[in-house]
Amino acid sequence: MSDLSRNHFHAASAAREPVVRFTINGQESSAGAGTSVAAALWAAGRRALRLTTQRGEPRGIFCGMGVCFDCLVEIDGCPNVRACRIAIKEGMRVRTQQGAGSWEEAP
Amino acid sequence: MRHPVAIVGAGPAGMSAAITLAQSGVRPVVIDENPRAGGQIYRQPEVAAHAPAPPAATGTRLLRQFAEADLELLCGASVWGFFQDRRLALVRDGKSLTVEAQHLILAPGAYEYLPPFPGWTLPGVMTPGAAQGLVKTMNVLPGRRVLLAGTGPFLLVVADQLQRVGIDVAGIVETASRREVLRALPALLARPGLVWQGIRLHLRLRRLPFFWKHVLIEARGADSVQEAVIAPCDGDGRPDVSRARTIAVDTICAGYGFVPRIQLAQLAGCRLQFREGLGGWVPEVDEDFETSVEGVWTAGDGGGVSGALAAEVEGALAGLAVAQRLGVLDRKTYEGKRRPLRRRLNGLRRFRDGLQRAFRLRSGLTDLANSATLVCRCEELTRGQIEEGIASGGTDVRTLKVISRVGMGPCQGMMCWPATARLIAARTGRTVEAAGPPSTRPPIVPVSLGELIDVDQATNSHPEGTAAVVERGMA
Repeated sequence: MSDLSRNHFHAASAAREPVVRFTINGQESSAGAGTSVAAALWAAGRRALRLTTQRGEPRGIFCGMGVCFDCLVEIDGCPNVRACRIAIKEGMRVRTQQGAGSWEEAP
Repeated sequence: MRHPVAIVGAGPAGMSAAITLAQSGVRPVVIDENPRAGGQIYRQPEVAAHAPAPPAATGTRLLRQFAEADLELLCGASVWGFFQDRRLALVRDGKSLTVEAQHLILAPGAYEYLPPFPGWTLPGVMTPGAAQGLVKTMNVLPGRRVLLAGTGPFLLVVADQLQRVGIDVAGIVETASRREVLRALPALLARPGLVWQGIRLHLRLRRLPFFWKHVLIEARGADSVQEAVIAPCDGDGRPDVSRARTIAVDTICAGYGFVPRIQLAQLAGCRLQFREGLGGWVPEVDEDFETSVEGVWTAGDGGGVSGALAAEVEGALAGLAVAQRLGVLDRKTYEGKRRPLRRRLNGLRRFRDGLQRAFRLRSGLTDLANSATLVCRCEELTRGQIEEGIASGGTDVRTLKVISRVGMGPCQGMMCWPATARLIAARTGRTVEAAGPPSTRPPIVPVSLGELIDVDQATNSHPEGTAAVVERGMA
């Protein structure tokens, strides 16, 4: 998958975009402002947004419009969020979801 | 306060209905799940000067009129239920609210359909619309080398957009034959401007490999797409696998047309009818687009897929009819405004019928899935498992859901019911219509208990509260 990592932005306009920093599974990453969580992960080379409940198979962006529920991820400790429906925000903690996902324990 | 009109969906149909009503002096409330108006077709980027503007379908005039119209816009709001007295239940910013209206115009649009085929759940297989969204509004490339497959002119539109941002488009795989498209020309010429657009699009894409009368039969890869397998097919879309060939790509965009989003109409109790050419089950409407439930109207692709231009006209017609019903438009003015719109709609419908004949969903596509191919993506059920359910008495979509869990996942069967209904039809020897519509229950979008609990009490008990919540949402 290394050939897909990074550089998914349009080179032409990436420079003038405000950048938002967030983490994927604890790793620092960044994306253009106004990008959905799904697109931000895709741009960072993460195509498997979750592993399915029954078979543990990877799923990515499919319908891109909130209908298919394939792009479920954990955002700031909350599982089963459609990554294509949420805009990436500064400091957001995104985790690719394993199966049914899990709630983050309150500190 | 009860709103005079609530419109669900700010795509071409919803925007056009809202503009028409505002021009007649009615202030509608418009609800949309997306961060901005425009719908899927006229999606507006979050950051200005994003992706290069597409040649057609910018919807500039419509978006401008909508922005200038006197209305209330509730963006980022998902409708999850429909209750008595045309009361809509919404979630927005983690809170619940209700919107009650005298008239409700449903303009939810449609979603893309693709029949299940081996490998269709691999990351990197997506709808053309998803790829378009990444490029148009997110500035993100869906892949480096992309194959488009399926049927219909939307594949060309997306191929063009992908090429413009420097993506290597590996080809376009189209189940229709060139002859079928030529045969549709007389009907298509009802809208010569659109035919000309299509020709220009073809000319721009003339260097791309174009596989007429071919079908995508498999997506291969370990954790992500690495190869697409395509084969020539017959008129029913049945592939000749002996002549299959492999194309190295990292992304496949597959789309075979659109399915109306009827969930809200179903919750409202609207009578449905099956219209294959309109994308499946659609609400029954009279000529003014009122459904079988008084005061509930539908316009645009959500009431039957006819495309963005028809959606805009249907929205205007529904808006006029509602204005007339509300008594703000006299019969004569109404008739005068209605006539040219009806004429325009008739032309657009002839065009749609022509497209639909050439780029129809072919029966052989059902057999792209083998017994081990997942059909229900949510519940991870294979064709084999679903067929076992049919054999044990699940001979309609609803019963089969109870028996096999097909369609019981979070998408509520939206992605799989067309395939499931076709498997039932094939096994029982009956029509797809006889398999019945999928069942729908609220909430039609996921709602957390926290969101349900966090209700502004004023919203429910004091009618003024609804308006207050809506107004606050605008600030």
